[in-house]
Amino acid sequence: MDQILDQARDVFEGQIDFEGQRLAELITNVLLGAAGIIAFFVGFMAQDIKLTLYIGLGGTALTFLAVVPPWPLYNKDPEDWLPGHAVSGINIDVDGKQVG
Amino acid sequence: MHSTIVRVQNVFGFFTTVAFCVAGVIALSVFIHPQSPSASIKLRNVQVVKGRPHYYSYKKEEYANIKFDLDTDLSTLFNWNTKQVFLYLKAVYPSTSASNPASEAIIWDAILPGAQAPWHQNHYIHPSPKNKSKPKTKKGVKPPPIYPVGQIHLQNQRPKYQITDISGKLQNRTDVVLELGWNVQPWVGALVWANKGDWGMWKGVKGGVSRKFSLPEIGGKAKKEDVATEKGKEGHRLEVGGEHPVGKKGF
Repeated sequence: MDQILDQARDVFEGQIDFEGQRLAELITNVLLGAAGIIAFFVGFMAQDIKLTLYIGLGGTALTFLAVVPPWPLYNKDPEDWLPGHAVSGINIDVDGKQVG
Repeated sequence: MHSTIVRVQNVFGFFTTVAFCVAGVIALSVFIHPQSPSASIKLRNVQVVKGRPHYYSYKKEEYANIKFDLDTDLSTLFNWNTKQVFLYLKAVYPSTSASNPASEAIIWDAILPGAQAPWHQNHYIHPSPKNKSKPKTKKGVKPPPIYPVGQIHLQNQRPKYQITDISGKLQNRTDVVLELGWNVQPWVGALVWANKGDWGMWKGVKGGVSRKFSLPEIGGKAKKEDVATEKGKEGHRLEVGGEHPVGKKGF
């Protein structure tokens, strides 16, 4: 049961690693900025303001699709935990049990 | 950007910034569309009659009924950011006391839709010239225009509104002119009024004012058809406290 809940939480939270976060930020800025610039110029050339609206909204939808789900691309450099090493001379006591 | 919710929020936040910037650039882009509107207005006939503001009124006022010719080319006002142009013709006459500014009253108006505007019942449909047959139009379908967008050629046009003065007296007024004005209503950006002088790439309106004329004295009984008004499509609707939706307003 705990395992299923953990999996469900992982899917819902969609965590990505540090490199992935940097990449996601970059992709957001580039895609949305490009969509805005292209939308304006295409609409201006065609003298059709509805074209601007739809290109802008389409670009935004694409950005959501590209950035929001935790694609494997954003989890290529997982940060591992440091290996455990023994520490002597300290006694850690939890509820009467010796853990360290 | 570590979790889904944060990414949704960041993408949406940057989207609003981009949308605002694009809207700002669109609003500015209209200034590089050259404008050169022109208009010629001629008085055709003017009559002053006595009437009442409504059926149960005891007060009698004087109403002027002004017929006119209008030839105007406003096609350069229509660019990619023009939703519609509200066009109006006003009578401008000096007030009774010299210290007050001139009085203005609108006698005729029209809503000219831009190319992208969806059909609406209140849009102006140019009357076809007398010698041509009237094209049949279906309801809800844009009729093919007789003239290019922004061009209007009216002969002996009846006014939409009879005008009166705040004093109720209108006969024998002098130095009256008819003047064309408009609002350019954009999809995004600023509402622009008619400009008299040149402003960057926008030329001031050429013509646009009629010659001075005087309002006549109240004559004998005027024929009803001489002082009839034209009603726009927006006039065919019931309003609170209004009369029945009638085609022509009688006095």
